[in-house]
Order: sequence, then structure tokens, then C-alpha cells
Amino acid sequence: MTIQIELRGVNKHYGSFHALKDIDLSIAEGTFVALVGPSGCGKSTLLRSLAGLEKISTGDLKIAGQQMNGVPPRKRDVAMVFQSYALYPHMTVEENLTYSLRIRGVAKAQAKKAAAEVAATTGLSHLLGRYPRELSGGQRQRVAMSRAIIRHPKAFLFDEPLSNLDAALRVHMRKEIRALHDRLHATSVYVTHDQIEAMTMADHVVVMRDGIIEQQGKPLDLYDAPVNKFVAGFIGSPAMNFIPAMVGDDGKTLALDLGTVRGILTVDRTLQPGRKITVGIRPEHIGIAEAGQGSFDVPVAVVESTGFTAFITAATTPELIVVETGRSTVRPGDMVGVRISSDQLHLFDDATGVRV
Amino acid sequence: MKSLFSSMRDGLGFDIALVAFALGFLLLMSGLPLVYNVVMSFQEVDMFSLGTFSRPFVGLRNYIDLFAQPETYPILLNTLIFVVGSIAGQFLIGFGLALFFWVNFPGASWLRGLFLVSWVMPGLVVGAIWNWILSGDFGVLNFILRETGLIDANIFWRSDPDYSLYAVIIANIWLGTSFNMILLSVGLSGIPGDLYEAAELDGANAWQRFWTITLPMMRSTIGAIIALGLIFTLQQFDLFAAITSGGPNNASNVTQYWAWELSFRQYDFGKGATVSVVMIVFVMIAAMVYVRSTRHEVRG
Repeated sequence: MTIQIELRGVNKHYGSFHALKDIDLSIAEGTFVALVGPSGCGKSTLLRSLAGLEKISTGDLKIAGQQMNGVPPRKRDVAMVFQSYALYPHMTVEENLTYSLRIRGVAKAQAKKAAAEVAATTGLSHLLGRYPRELSGGQRQRVAMSRAIIRHPKAFLFDEPLSNLDAALRVHMRKEIRALHDRLHATSVYVTHDQIEAMTMADHVVVMRDGIIEQQGKPLDLYDAPVNKFVAGFIGSPAMNFIPAMVGDDGKTLALDLGTVRGILTVDRTLQPGRKITVGIRPEHIGIAEAGQGSFDVPVAVVESTGFTAFITAATTPELIVVETGRSTVRPGDMVGVRISSDQLHLFDDATGVRV
Repeated sequence: MKSLFSSMRDGLGFDIALVAFALGFLLLMSGLPLVYNVVMSFQEVDMFSLGTFSRPFVGLRNYIDLFAQPETYPILLNTLIFVVGSIAGQFLIGFGLALFFWVNFPGASWLRGLFLVSWVMPGLVVGAIWNWILSGDFGVLNFILRETGLIDANIFWRSDPDYSLYAVIIANIWLGTSFNMILLSVGLSGIPGDLYEAAELDGANAWQRFWTITLPMMRSTIGAIIALGLIFTLQQFDLFAAITSGGPNNASNVTQYWAWELSFRQYDFGKGATVSVVMIVFVMIAAMVYVRSTRHEVRG
């Protein structure tokens, strides 16, 4: 598979602020890549650098094999969907869609035909004569996407396109964008702070923090084997439990420090005795048992049921959160046993946060 | 409807008092003189009948006489040239400056503020300054034009009938440009930056972005500023008084200055009022354009 977008040692400085630090990233043609991370992590800067709206300070940026470092946005042949949609308010939907074609001098009739075709696939046919101010949020979103589609660009860039929509529409548009990507055999780069969006939509997830790529890979690989505590805590919802622990004298047991509760877990490998470790356990990987039947017992503080799942918060420090499927019989104040299987533990160095 | 009305009332009559004060002020200071002026244009008014309101009614006599005078059409033409020339100059230079400062180089907003100095200066002071600049014998403008080889002999800007109107236009452009620039700057800063980014990604170069994004998005601002410019240039009196006094031989005379001349130099108050009424019609049209363009917002 050919590489469509390639970044080698890309750095971006804003004055003394180092926004992107030695970014290496290869995006194969036809893949859907999500850039995810907390705000200020550099994901939007990276996307805007791909578009050419930001100039990278050092490094190489190639799109479809061509060096793009100094190339202005209009000559990069990439399309971007903005968070604000950035629709041209003084143009009708049809004029918005055909803008790029008209700029390139495509004949009017041909541009109109192209707009009609795209509008038909995105369900905008009946809205072509409207102005953006007369559209709902979801419809504006569709116009923004159609405006990108009509160009058949080398890559689609999405900058948090769903963050202005309500929750239900967001879930719907998630699927629609992914379906569109598959149908067009497009190469897409999608920026989001929502790890669920990244996990559900992307083939390849890039987790960023403070201008560096913490980890990249297939969504489930990131979920199963996060390389450090940050990625572990960022991917997955509800977030992974982190418990401080110390390795026992035999090197095979971990003494968990949960405040008033002490738990002992055995691991199937040998660690340096006395080493301080942060143990990560995903809430969905903890089972609830009768008191005395699990690995150790915890008192229950809060039970929140959504109907299908129940979130059980234990009265420990740090709090231990457990997700139980189905109706839970646990009540606040109960003592329950927690079942933790050692192969679902994630161990991180206490000081560096790196996976052990 | 009743509750809406009562929600706007405070029950004490204080609200009525506030509205009445504003309305009363407007009627007394603007409405009454306006109506009085219109009435005067249909009367025969001279020095002796000035003190009374019951003056002989002459119907359209003043209007007919006015348009029979040989200087009327040249003065109307002068007014047209003055208005179009001033607005075009103020707008184009103002827009150019607004775009220039929009680039936002270091010190741009500070420098832009300095430009307003020209606008806050009284017209008579501006006129005095331009008298020096435009002076035929020792004026700076002639010096520059001569030294750059654009002219061979000095132009007597203020006393040459071919140039006197343009002398006032130049001064008026200088006076009004910064106001245009400030309003246009406000309009420019109101255009969302992501539209330009989107247009850039859609393949538009700077020139195309200007024509397809900037200009259409500025439509209401431009409409408003041209209407305001029309109103301001039709009010421009000080510069004429300071620079040419409408001369020589009406070569630089315009309706607003002429109306004053007829009334207070020739004491033909009826004619002066008649010229004013003709101007009111044009200003009203401008005011309507202004109100319409500020109401018509395209931002979505």
C-alpha cells in the first residue's frame, strides 16, 4: 500500500513554544487516521500543518510523494472540514459546494451537475438553494463535508467536525463519515479530543500529548497494550483505575495500596522486589464476587446504573471503579469481593509511567 | 399584546418622560427647523419679513426662479463632482489603508489610531492647513509636483477655476479617509478568519479571496459607509469657507455653500431655503440607503 502522507522529524515552534516535537507519521492511502489527545497537545497544529495553514519549522512533509513544506494550501489538493464548518455565509449551499470548482474555472453547468451528484449522496438535494444560516447544525455539517467531497482531494482533513453537534447526532454522523470514507476510498486524518470517536472511526489512532506522539497503532492495540500510563488513562471509558503498589519480596506479588484497603495480587512474572509500580486495571476487567470470594474485599460507596451496565465505585483511595454488565445487586455500604485476573493487569513504572 | 405593553411601562410615567424628552428635543431642534425651512421655500422672504411667519405665499416661484438662474446647473454639477470625487477618494484610499492595517504588522493598531487625527480636526483648521499646502506660489504640493516633473508651471489651486473644486476635493478626501478606514477596518475584522482558510484550501489565491469572500462579506459595511459618505460630503461646508469660498466665480461652489451664500450673503432667504429643500431630498435618499444596508446583514 502506498504512503499518502508522510511526516519525518516535523517540528513546529511558535516563538519559544515548541508545539510539535519530532513528529514521525506515515499514513497509507485509504486509511482513516485519528489524531487524539487533550487540548493543547498539538493535534490541531499537526492537522493545520498538513493543510498548509501552519508552516512547519523543520522536518519533511510529503503528500502523495511530493515535498509539501513550502507549498501554499491551495496547491496541496487537500480538503478540510472545520470545527466551525466555515461555510461561506453569503453563498447558497450549491454555491458553497461549487466554490472550489468555480475557482478552478470549471464550466458552470458541469459544476452544477457535480454539486447535484454530491448533494444526492449526502442528502442535501432539497437544500441546494438555501443559505447556511437557514440550515440546522447537522445540515451545515453535511454541507461542509460535501464541499470537501466534491473536490476529490488527495486527503480529507477533519478538525473536530462533530463537536458542535448534540450527542445523538454525533453518534449518527460518526458512522456516516466512516461510511463515506470507505465509499470514496479516501485518505482521512481526523482530529478529535474524544477517544470514543477515535476508537470507533479510525483504522489507526495517534495519541498525542505536549507535542509528541505518545503511541500510535490500531485502536484495539492501544486499548490492549498502552505503552504508558497516559495512553492507558486516555483510551477507554470509563478510564482505567490506577493503584499504587509495591512488589513483594518474592517478586511475584503486588501489594496494592488502596488507603484503608490492602490488596494482594500475584503476577505471572518476576519483578524486582520492593519496586514501586502503578497497577492499571480497566473497570470492565474487574469482576464482582461475594465478600471473601475475590482477590480482596472493598466497601461500596456508590452504585450508578444505566440499565444495561452498573458503575460501582468503591470507597477506597484512590477510588476503584468497576463496570458490571446487567442489573447489579450490590448496594452502597456492602462489602464485596473484587475478582482481578492477572493477565488483565497493566503495570507501569511509578516514576516514569512507562509500561513495565 | 397588553402584557407586552405593560411590561415596557413602569407605571410611574417616568418612561414616558424619558421618551418625551428625547422626542421633544428631536422635534424642537431638528423637526421644526426642517419644516420651517420647507415652508420658507414656498414664501417670499426678505430682510423685512424675516421676523414674521405670515409672509406672502409664492407657490413654486422660488423653485422656478432657482432653476432659471444660469449658475444653478453648474453648481449642481459641481456638487455631483464633489460628492462622487470625495466619496471615491475617501473610500478607495480608506479601503486600501484598512486592508493594509489588516495585515496586522507590529504597531498596526497604534498607527491606525494615529490616522484618526485627521478626522477629529475641525474643518476650518484642515482648510487652513491645506491653504498652505495648496498655495500657488510657495505651496508644498506645487513644489512636489514640479520637482517630480509632473507639472512645468505652478498651479494656482485655489484661484484657477479649472482646479479650485479639486483643491477642496483633495482636502476633503484627506479629512474623510481615516473615518472610512476605521469603519472598513471594523467590517474586515468581523469576517471570520476560517472563511479565508477554507477558501485557501478550496484553491483561491489572494486576489480571488478578495473578490469572492472579502467584498461580498463587506457588502453591508460598504453600503453603510457610502451612504454616510454622501451625507457627510453634502454637509461639508467648512472646507469651502476656508479654501475657496466657492470661487472664483462659482467655479468651486456647491449647493450647501450656495444655500448659505443666498441666505446670509445675498439675504434671499427664500432661495436659500429652496436650495436646502433640494438637498434634503438627496440626503433622504442616502439616509434610506444607509438604514437599509445596516438592516441587511448577510452574516449567518
